[in-house]
Amino acid sequence: MSTEQSLKQRSGLLHYTELVFVVAWKNVKLRYKNSFFGFLWSLLNPLLFLAIFTFIFSQAFPDIENYPLFALTALIFWAFFSTTSNHILGSVVENASVLRSVYVPPIVFPLSQLIAGLINLLISFIPFGFIMYFLGFEASWVNLLVIPCTILFALFTFGFSVSMCAFNVYFRDMGMLWNSLQPALFYFTPIAYSSTLVPENMRWVMKFNPLYHFVELFRTVLYHGAVPSERQIMITGLLTLFMLVTGWIVFSKLKKGFIANY
Amino acid sequence: MGKEAMIELSNVDVSFLVQRYGFSSIKQYFVSLGSKKLFERKPILHNIDISIERGECFGLIGKNGSGKSTLLRVMSGIIKPSSGIVDVRGAVAPMLALGIGLEPEMSGLENIKLCSAFMGVSVRHTNKAYEKILDFSELTQEEMEMQVKRYSTGMMARLGFAIATVYDPEILLIDEVLAVGDVGFQNKCYKRINEIREQGSTVVFVSHFLSEIQKICTRAACMDKGRIVKVGSVHEVGQYYNSLFEDPGVGHSRK
Repeated sequence: MSTEQSLKQRSGLLHYTELVFVVAWKNVKLRYKNSFFGFLWSLLNPLLFLAIFTFIFSQAFPDIENYPLFALTALIFWAFFSTTSNHILGSVVENASVLRSVYVPPIVFPLSQLIAGLINLLISFIPFGFIMYFLGFEASWVNLLVIPCTILFALFTFGFSVSMCAFNVYFRDMGMLWNSLQPALFYFTPIAYSSTLVPENMRWVMKFNPLYHFVELFRTVLYHGAVPSERQIMITGLLTLFMLVTGWIVFSKLKKGFIANY
Repeated sequence: MGKEAMIELSNVDVSFLVQRYGFSSIKQYFVSLGSKKLFERKPILHNIDISIERGECFGLIGKNGSGKSTLLRVMSGIIKPSSGIVDVRGAVAPMLALGIGLEPEMSGLENIKLCSAFMGVSVRHTNKAYEKILDFSELTQEEMEMQVKRYSTGMMARLGFAIATVYDPEILLIDEVLAVGDVGFQNKCYKRINEIREQGSTVVFVSHFLSEIQKICTRAACMDKGRIVKVGSVHEVGQYYNSLFEDPGVGHSRK
């Protein structure tokens, strides 16, 4: 039963990169494995919110031109943030049995959930593109900036979620906490409404929410069809860097005790 | 002993930071302003000195909770020792324990790819191994395409064992997994373990059953309360292990 390929010492970035993609692809497949509509569910959630918001708010916010498009340009990315952060949060705990039986760097699991989330988002760009077209979206080259913005946002999401993921190993409360905080964050972020509706003297409070800056970034590129300002790029870039560094420190500090606390 | 050591542990201590359980610990932590610890350090393994040679099948026996599985995890690199030196010279196959590492929602086939990736085998090479796994695990093509969650425990053990051994690991760690299969499969596993060993690999085998260890191991160690209390021939260790149950006073060498 001997095979030409024998086990190599597991090391090297190349091997782990392949592993991340193999696991990511497994995650994509698993997400919709036992469901009839599969991938469509990931479209359904934002579309449902879009329908509700359009029904309720388009009369309430008459100043917003093409309200459905306005809401959708933020909803797509909220959906990504919400599902991906949840998947990353649970990733290490869910794979405890693997981590207990073979040496794999734990970071492989959050990373592969990020990749899975990105693959899902990229595929959903196609149907969302059609929907936006029907909503009167005028495509221009500037819209392609959504790609680097998405990568930036994905890195931000990763840095943010990976800290929660590490804490979740020790305290499962993390998952519950994040589940109950999410709706609050959703309404605190100008997704269904425009930030200009918030009184001028209160707007500084909103800016403490990092998602505010990212939503504005995506709206600039997709809804206004404009190039983001240097200030916008700097703020979102720094937020991403900050989250990544924090995530890295927290994760590498906490991972030492993972094995005893899964 | 002029042989080459494959696994060498000297003075290895392992302790875990374990969370003190429950909400009250968090409350105490905040009330005491952090002076009461949220985690406590729990020693698991003490002063482990062991050297396992190439081509050896080494048995580990001991009561429940004596630290056998933890020791296997130290050897596989999953657990880092808090002090001491761990020197493992070779590629380690995933620790074999029940159904571990298999993804229940995926088919057997997909699991082969996934597990191979975890073992560090590139996806390109899994096709070659497929036939051998199919042959060894005695699963039909149809069963291979079934989700693993619909497998019986024995089928899972067979698949797991087939995957872990197909790439000729230099070090194979087995944590009481063979008890599940039927006698036919057990014998097949023993044969395969011997084959791997004769190719110059090293096998570490954990079991509660003395008979299993006596069947395939060349040397053994007995563990008690996180210490290795006896190393020697299978016969000697077996006698010692049995004596643990006759007289509870033996082996309680607490400092």
